[in-house]
Amino acid sequence: MTRTEHVALKGTRDGLVLYFDPAADFGVLMKELDKLLNNSVQFLQGASVRCYSGKKQFTEDEHARLGTVLHQRQLELTGWLTPEEVGVSAKSQAYGTQDKETRIWEEGMEEGSCLFVERTLRSGKSVQFDGHVVVLGDVNPGAEIIATGNIAVMGSLRGVAHAGATGERKASVSAYHLAPTQLRIADVVTRGPADEADGRGPEIARIKDDQLIVETAGMNGRRGKAR
Amino acid sequence: MGEVIVVTSGKGGVGKTTTSANIGTGLAAAGHKVVLVDTDIGLRNLDVVMGLENRIVYDLVDVTSGNCRLKQALIKDKRFANLFLLPAAQTKDKTAVNPEQMQVLAAELKAEFDYAIIDCPAGIEQGFRNAIAGADRAIVVCTPEVSAVRDADRIIGLLEAAELRNPKLIINRIRPEMVKRGDMMDIADILDILAVELIGVVPEDESIVISTNRGEPAVMDKTSKAGEAYRRITKRIIGEEVPLMNLDVPIGIMDRLKRLVGLR
Repeated sequence: MTRTEHVALKGTRDGLVLYFDPAADFGVLMKELDKLLNNSVQFLQGASVRCYSGKKQFTEDEHARLGTVLHQRQLELTGWLTPEEVGVSAKSQAYGTQDKETRIWEEGMEEGSCLFVERTLRSGKSVQFDGHVVVLGDVNPGAEIIATGNIAVMGSLRGVAHAGATGERKASVSAYHLAPTQLRIADVVTRGPADEADGRGPEIARIKDDQLIVETAGMNGRRGKAR
Repeated sequence: MGEVIVVTSGKGGVGKTTTSANIGTGLAAAGHKVVLVDTDIGLRNLDVVMGLENRIVYDLVDVTSGNCRLKQALIKDKRFANLFLLPAAQTKDKTAVNPEQMQVLAAELKAEFDYAIIDCPAGIEQGFRNAIAGADRAIVVCTPEVSAVRDADRIIGLLEAAELRNPKLIINRIRPEMVKRGDMMDIADILDILAVELIGVVPEDESIVISTNRGEPAVMDKTSKAGEAYRRITKRIIGEEVPLMNLDVPIGIMDRLKRLVGLR
């Protein structure tokens, strides 16, 4: 999930949903929406979104402005969600005892929808997913994964990986053998290591102080050291 | 009931046609009834490599479009009475045939022959889709270059998407002495990425150039190293288990000296 103070963009099973803070001023909302989309426009192009702002009703004029902003980003406004629709999403049902509103807003880097790819991604294959992606296999050179959440590869990552594609800088990319052609997290792009040293063991890449840092994945057990 | 095997690679110039010619000839030499099909419409080569270009009357497009019967278009090989070639058309292009027609043709060939070897054009477009349409098995040819490996990887993905599972890999034109120096990808590097079963390794061999120009497949040349590699591949296709060729290069005296004084 990507968000500013009053606006949040979240992927659900049924597509993208824009959440507006019902209490915020419309002008502020538009400004923040603009900022939000700036960070993620590449990933979102051509997608359709639905909006949600609680019980608040937008005026016709505001509605039109919102439509224009989305259209400029090549997004299509396909409808509005009612509080009931948001309330009964599968996710909040699973956590029935908790406050439904907060549950949805919290879904992000630590939990959320996840795609399991149970095979090796070969050259030319592209996987794009709104959420986390786990690959049970390799990602070969020429293949790419774009995810709004984290990416984890059980085998070798040699292709291109883009985690936090909608601008989420807390996203990470991890692999048993991390040797990507190119690694992107949010808006930070790096090239892979020039020398392919084998047997470094599992590694994880994340953003620290505006830089992409690769470190050994936190395995202190016997296995972690053996490699 | 025969078997249709497509020889493909994605990248051009890695040796699909040479491989097709040698496997086909090798299988025929082992006594099987074989047909070679050139699907590279517009850029036909297999007839030249087989030395049969001056015997072409009808071609693949004539057969699929019903201009002639299959029997009329098949050219009998010079050396083996049980080896035939179905040449590609040279004056048309890949759109002259569609995958459905190829499936019909493949079924017809299977009824008649033990093996049909299909020489696939380079690329992943219609020519490729035609070539794999009627195939039961696939052989992917790859050279030890990153570009060829990348394309082979793509091709394997496309083959799997087309339900042609477990393609077999031939690594062609490997130069053992360069691998030894670390200047060329070795077999393990390639298999690490492609993760498919290796069915043969063919060393770079000058005699291939000579035999190709003469129109005589190297598999019949007992002195050729590449020919030996193709003979082994042929055996593996039939189902025999034979070890991979020993590609070790003898160590020269200079290397021994260097090793003695600890230079390597």
